[in-house]
Amino acid sequence: MKISESIIGRATVIRVAGSLDAQTSSEFSNYLTGRIGAGNVNIVLDLSQVDFMSSAGIHAILAALRESRQLSGTLHLAAAQPGVERTMQVSGFTSIINLFPTVDQAVSSFKDQA
Amino acid sequence: MFRSLRVKKQPEKVAPDSAAISVEQLSRDPTIPITFRQINSLPENAKRRIYRALLPAALLTDLGVDPVSWKGTSADLRVRLSAEADTNGVFLALRDGNGGADDVLRIELADNMLNGVDLNFIQISDPHGTRYSIDRDEHDRPTHFGTASRNLAEEVKAMHAGLAPGQTRSGLRASGLVFTHLEGFLATLGHRAYFLEPLTYASAWLFERRGFAYVRGHKLMDDIHCEFQPGGRLHAAVDGSSPFRQPEQWRTVRGRAWAIHDGILEAIGARWDGLRMVKQVGKHSGVVTFPDAVY
Amino acid sequence: MERKRQITRAAELSSLADFRDFIEASCFDHPAMNDRVLYDLKLAVDEACTNIITHGYAGMDPGSIIVELEIREEQVELTITDFGHAFEPRNAPQPNLEAALADQDPGGFGLFFIYQTMDNVDYACGEAGNCLRLTRRLPTGKG
Repeated sequence: MKISESIIGRATVIRVAGSLDAQTSSEFSNYLTGRIGAGNVNIVLDLSQVDFMSSAGIHAILAALRESRQLSGTLHLAAAQPGVERTMQVSGFTSIINLFPTVDQAVSSFKDQA
Repeated sequence: MFRSLRVKKQPEKVAPDSAAISVEQLSRDPTIPITFRQINSLPENAKRRIYRALLPAALLTDLGVDPVSWKGTSADLRVRLSAEADTNGVFLALRDGNGGADDVLRIELADNMLNGVDLNFIQISDPHGTRYSIDRDEHDRPTHFGTASRNLAEEVKAMHAGLAPGQTRSGLRASGLVFTHLEGFLATLGHRAYFLEPLTYASAWLFERRGFAYVRGHKLMDDIHCEFQPGGRLHAAVDGSSPFRQPEQWRTVRGRAWAIHDGILEAIGARWDGLRMVKQVGKHSGVVTFPDAVY
Repeated sequence: MERKRQITRAAELSSLADFRDFIEASCFDHPAMNDRVLYDLKLAVDEACTNIITHGYAGMDPGSIIVELEIREEQVELTITDFGHAFEPRNAPQPNLEAALADQDPGGFGLFFIYQTMDNVDYACGEAGNCLRLTRRLPTGKG
């Protein structure tokens, strides 16, 4: 699993490549906690390079969502492949986490915040 | 459908605890296994009839033993059976007919704590092969296959003769036949699996080929394979520092087995201990922890 | 077109990718398979094996997990066998998401995912190991 990061507009875009399963999700979760704790509270997760996600990935995302909201930020998902969309659908969390078709749309959504 | 899965505090017994066996019990559900303790409560001749099924007829006749009477051509009893009443296991030994001191085949089975079956011991030796006294140390004490003490001089000779650790003689290439019979016997008793603890890396590898999987120790076997590759810690440890740690030993099953017998796993903070393997009757698990291995 | 395959690996997190790859390799070219069913099978296998790895072999030097896949005419059967601690299915109606989140039981969330993606779930533990049987119906017609 590879993680890279860039700042676009008001968002920190974190791009993950690979699978988010029970093996890789703890490293992913630690990374997110570190970046949110360092003040990057508006996060867009670019999932375009993620080919698989299990409930472990959902746990990591939910934890990061909570942490970002505690610091008055939030977390959006973007560009999920059909498989990852399926995992989101199975989890039932599509009502809690915003899933955007593209990174740009996810980033733009932060502009509309007060 | 069930709501959740919680780890069980106590595993269940495979067969009920029962000291004896009756016609009434035999008439019940035939898929409930019978224990060795139950068989051992029967009269001696009944036990002989039942335990006869453990030894392949073809192997016996090849060695000049009548598969029904267990007698050799000189009418000498060639098979020893030990299955005392109030014990939970059976020991069978097939003696060589030519006055040889060692047994050709030794097998020991027992009920385990859950009334499943443990194969506690199996050894098949070529009675005409050269004997290496790795089983007795220089003070003539039993080494228990080199686990309690070692006879290093004999071990070096055995290793160079192509034996694996724990062998006093080379094998007979009959293990496939013996294991097939063993499974048939256990299925007759109603058992669906049996367990063992591999004495050496070489025996674990042989059991993998017979279709055994791991209850404990699959990760250790994977780690051993990984660390014996160039760049690994076990690869670095076959540095010629003892006759059992010669550089090329990383390449073969026997080579690795001798190095592990010599304690090389200390290099990865591990010990050859606690592995447990399982064979599902009639199934092959396909475990291969050393792909493309040379024995 | 019937098909039967098997893979066995150590019960470690690093084996999860192998189990998913096994499902992919075993199914991708089957005429009755589609992407949704294939992904759901991968998800179910991953969740089941994660439970075994995390809880089934807890406290032990990990043993083996055997995954068998059988594609029959109208359904796929996945059988996942391990030799660790037996689990105890607690009988109750099918779990929902809130229950799975609130539940402190190990693997509760993973089990929820398995239920959402598979048509039938059976669990039995015995002498020859702990055995989880999952069934997924195949789509009728292609796509």
